[in-house]
Amino acid sequence: MDCIISIELGTNAVRVYAFDLQGGTIGFAKGSYPTFHPSPDYSEQDPEQIFITMLYVLKNLLNEKVHSKNYKVLYICFSASMHSLLAVDKSGAPLTNLITWADNRGKKEAGTLQTSPESDEIYKATGTPIHPMSPLVKIVWLKNQRPDLFQKTDKFMSLKSYIIQQLTGRVILDHSLASATGLLNIYKKQWEPAALQYAGISASQLPEAVPINHCPGKLLNQYRVSLGVSASTKILAGSSDGCFATLGAGVWDRHKATITIEDSAAVRVIGNSVLCDKKRRLFNYVLDDTHYVSGGPSNSGGIVFEWFAKQFGDFRNAYDLETCMDDLIREASGAQPGAEKLLFLPYLLGERAPIWDAQARGVFFGVNINHERKHFARAVIEGILYEMYSIGKMLQEHRDIKELSINGSFASLPFCTQLIADIFHLPVSVGTNASSVSMGAYLLTATEIGMYKNIEEASRSVTLTETCKPNTHNNNIYTRYYSVFENLTGKLASDFEALANL
Amino acid sequence: MNLFELQQGSSRELQMFPHIVSTGCKKNQAIQLESFRESMSEFIRIYYIIDGKHEWRIDDENFHLYPGDTVLILPGRKLSSEKGFLEIGTLAWIHFKIEVLEHNKFIPGKWSSLSESECGTIGNILLLNRPLVPSKTCDAGRVLASLQNELLNQEIAFYTRVNQLLDEFLATLSRQLAKEGNPGRDFSKIFLQLEQKLRDNLARQWSVEEMAATVGMGTTLFNVRVKSYTGFSPINYLINLRIAESIKLLRKPDLNLTDIALDTGFCSSQHFSTTFKKLTGHTPREFRKKNTGDS
Repeated sequence: MDCIISIELGTNAVRVYAFDLQGGTIGFAKGSYPTFHPSPDYSEQDPEQIFITMLYVLKNLLNEKVHSKNYKVLYICFSASMHSLLAVDKSGAPLTNLITWADNRGKKEAGTLQTSPESDEIYKATGTPIHPMSPLVKIVWLKNQRPDLFQKTDKFMSLKSYIIQQLTGRVILDHSLASATGLLNIYKKQWEPAALQYAGISASQLPEAVPINHCPGKLLNQYRVSLGVSASTKILAGSSDGCFATLGAGVWDRHKATITIEDSAAVRVIGNSVLCDKKRRLFNYVLDDTHYVSGGPSNSGGIVFEWFAKQFGDFRNAYDLETCMDDLIREASGAQPGAEKLLFLPYLLGERAPIWDAQARGVFFGVNINHERKHFARAVIEGILYEMYSIGKMLQEHRDIKELSINGSFASLPFCTQLIADIFHLPVSVGTNASSVSMGAYLLTATEIGMYKNIEEASRSVTLTETCKPNTHNNNIYTRYYSVFENLTGKLASDFEALANL
Repeated sequence: MNLFELQQGSSRELQMFPHIVSTGCKKNQAIQLESFRESMSEFIRIYYIIDGKHEWRIDDENFHLYPGDTVLILPGRKLSSEKGFLEIGTLAWIHFKIEVLEHNKFIPGKWSSLSESECGTIGNILLLNRPLVPSKTCDAGRVLASLQNELLNQEIAFYTRVNQLLDEFLATLSRQLAKEGNPGRDFSKIFLQLEQKLRDNLARQWSVEEMAATVGMGTTLFNVRVKSYTGFSPINYLINLRIAESIKLLRKPDLNLTDIALDTGFCSSQHFSTTFKKLTGHTPREFRKKNTGDS
């Protein structure tokens, strides 16, 4: 029997899924790796540690669930988190740690680019909002702050390029991840000259940009031996985690959007055309030759609720965060919608869409002597979801969204799913797959094998659970609270800046 | 507590305990200027604050000490007072000999019944934790008081009791140090601290007990948490860390393979080679050849 392997190189962990050809899960394994913060604005990871972790997890999964059951690996398909940067020298050795999407060291460089005459052309051509997350900005930071490393850099890679190079020897980057670097022309699918010039690099210093269904060749012999896979196993470049999550969520129609909330979060739509936002708040990333995934990312996902639980929850068992969060959610559900006039702005890590303000901070507003922990817990959850709604509203300027599909560990908590339906006043369906990212990888691979005509047909095959219907009464409450939330966010911008400058 | 002072060499009570350099309890009722000069010693010095507020300096770090706090000063570290004198108050102390070896190992001596691996764990905590000032260590204060009573009263089997209490003193302080700042909430933070310690001391032969103790957890809970948090057993996590580090070192052509093996914590180049090959499919030598064009 044949099987398909999906490797997700996520922000905190690598997740490996084995699927049979019908999309059923044969096995799953994960291994996590840490993020280091040598300075407050820095977020780095160790590329070798990620590579070794991935090899170990993959090898164990193959031994335990694939080889032992006589499955033959037909394809290995990759996905990775966006915006990572790794400078590599001529001999292929990394000159830096991996700089992740959450890294804010390029604040100043982002500010300079934002106000430069080239910025409009670069944003429109590349689809990537101008922000420290963008590899373009990170390269400019290296050029300005670490000219020694910048000079020595032979290739500016992303995590996926590095991993695939280790395994196959080829240096490639799929269009989907490449379009999140701020350096790819999303119309021509080639490296954008204006962005290259601004970064001060040449196209030869970047990986070869390839379609998501590109095969970068076979596994090097030594890995074939150590992993026990045959010479016929093919590698697929795959896409970014965000694009696969959208594909795997089955939201192909124009009136659908998908909300993903893990640690961070995003609201996304798929379409044939690029969404032009005059305020440059939206991203447009390439899915395949004719489709784009557009939307807005947020820093304020499940990680914000986790913070709340760690600080204020009860730990019945040492380090048992899951039970602690379950308890708090039960507690929160005991408070009224609106948490009796307690509001929370969830910007603990600054915010990306829609305000794109790295200096924004978290705020509890409206605290009263009668408020208890359950109100605070509820306010935190509502705050995270109002923020999702603010991104959704921005997308609704371009699309008439009538249905939502949600995925990710935080969004799929039943309490949150109902709240999303109520706040958006839209029906919400939940993906039945453990990981919509890996489901996306499966769908792409299955299309390659010829099981689907194209990825559109593949995406439409995704089955969604029964929808969660909005409660109109609650929606009326949330709508009024949201307008205060939106006002507050706008009004506090100057104070966030003042606080940052203290 | 009784006020007293015992010194090795002059106090008969310490004759049977050559490892104890001095111990006592002192009440300082008046400030004497210049009475607290900077000092350094070859033995471990432990002070327990009973009364008063004290401002001390260990190496280059200042500490404000309150009743119930303990101060551990390792061999070779400097102790002084910010103001140059001993403040008004009461404190108990004990100075005793231990031998510090490479890789944070220490040997207390024949008197101790701590096992080799327990010494490894305690040594690790004492030598890796900064600062060594566990606060509110009333348990440690009680153990020290019992130890001193045994020394002064010399009742039946006091030789065994003194040494047992000294072991208990070390164990109590190590537990307290490891648990400090670790209220059992944020495992991700604790794990990151451990990760940093492992990376900084990769050559050390870590056992799971030592890793667990370093973050103030029991081994059973530690195993469960690490597995659910990382997907790996603690030892496998460590092995992956070792291989990842060795890859970086293998890219530097001037390091020899045996040194790389030992620096990354493999007990031999043979062991390194087998473990490396199992995961990556090639031996360290082959990896280096492919990645540096060097043989």
